[in-house]
Amino acid sequence: METLTLLELNGRVRSTLQHEMPDPCWVQAEISGLNPTGQGHCYMELVEKDPSGRTFLAKAKANVWRTVWLRLKPYFEAQTGESLKVGMKVLLLVSVTFHEVYGYSLTVQDIDPTYTIGDMARRRREILERLEREGVIGLNRELEIPLLPHRIAVISSATAAGYGDFRNQLSGNVYGYRFYVKLFPALMQGEEVERSVIAAMNAVAARRDDFDVLVIIRGGGAVSELSCFDSYDIAVNIANFPLPVITGIGHERDDTVADTVAHTKVKTPTAAAGFLIDRMFETASVLENMTRRLGDAVSGRMETERLRIERIAQKLPSLYAVVKVRHEQMIENLWNRAVSGVRNMLTAHLHRLELMEKGIGAADPVLILKRGYTLTRCNGHAVKSASDLRKGDRITSVFPDGTVESEII
Amino acid sequence: MKYEEALKRLEEIVSGIEENKLDIDRIGESLKEARELIKSCRDKLYKTDEEIKKILETED
Repeated sequence: METLTLLELNGRVRSTLQHEMPDPCWVQAEISGLNPTGQGHCYMELVEKDPSGRTFLAKAKANVWRTVWLRLKPYFEAQTGESLKVGMKVLLLVSVTFHEVYGYSLTVQDIDPTYTIGDMARRRREILERLEREGVIGLNRELEIPLLPHRIAVISSATAAGYGDFRNQLSGNVYGYRFYVKLFPALMQGEEVERSVIAAMNAVAARRDDFDVLVIIRGGGAVSELSCFDSYDIAVNIANFPLPVITGIGHERDDTVADTVAHTKVKTPTAAAGFLIDRMFETASVLENMTRRLGDAVSGRMETERLRIERIAQKLPSLYAVVKVRHEQMIENLWNRAVSGVRNMLTAHLHRLELMEKGIGAADPVLILKRGYTLTRCNGHAVKSASDLRKGDRITSVFPDGTVESEII
Repeated sequence: MKYEEALKRLEEIVSGIEENKLDIDRIGESLKEARELIKSCRDKLYKTDEEIKKILETED
């Protein structure tokens, strides 16, 4: 058996590796350490864990040299919307190197972001499936945004540009709606996001009656690091939150789990403000519409009543005419009765007169004359006795057919 | 009165007038109530409520 120096041994390991693995290969691993250096390189630690996630099955150092890192980092961020970080699953193109002093390591040549995107999507899916199983996934969406969502609790970092945008958008709304905004500050980037956001949510929940909605916004950071919102704990808090939650933490491409369980998700803080303004606009429109309806209803009702009175008024003359005709007939009847009454009376009187006439007919002088008597007058007076006459008196004898003058001798 | 309740009451009055359910002698009264409700709703939309401001300004 030969004896080697350490250098000889390491040299042999190196040449064996070079001989056996001359070409780079793609390797799937989880980042367990990430140290960008001042020189522009980046040292990583890669691991593979067992399904429980507690035991390491494999471990390796990986170096990303400056020229590769300068290209790889922005490319990865542009593709995923995330920066590389511990806990992330990556697919790297690596060549295997062995250095006599530094030992085994991998040299990273390229990265495939689609693998990471796929892995994040899988994690999101798993969280969503769990929330679904637990029956909480739709709870927040079932809440109703009040008609007047003007008391707004905001979880954001106080210094974030997005928070300023949100406030400006609300206070400068063209309709003049009044909003009341209270900030519950939280860290929106880094390792502490989850704990910090949940603490802020608890603070809002403790004062739930003071608010109409909760808005969670971020924005203004260079890289979004959204995966902290792909958190089961944040999601379950949002789902169970007593107020409707609006998220404006968004991402152009994918929704985070927080977005999915929120009542409403929009892409940016400005859009979150826009959503609330629109909601107020709807409310104001309902009120304006009601005001119009009220005016129409009252004038409509008054018009109906006016027409009713008018109809009655129009009927009056014809009703009067009917009454008038009836009265005229009554009057005519009375007149007719009066006339016939008078006529009957006259007839009766005439009849009586006729009878009386018959009674006195025997005394008519004409009839007496016709019987051969004459009437003698002297000086216009009837002569009733011969002794009334003297000699020389001129008398007139009246016959039925004329008179004769005579002189007394 | 809460905004929602005010709006609900307003709807009652308006539809009552529209559907001739309200006595004509009481329309004036209802109209007055409706106008007050509208004003209070408008105030909530457009005017600063100092009370809400004060509540929200208090720290936890």
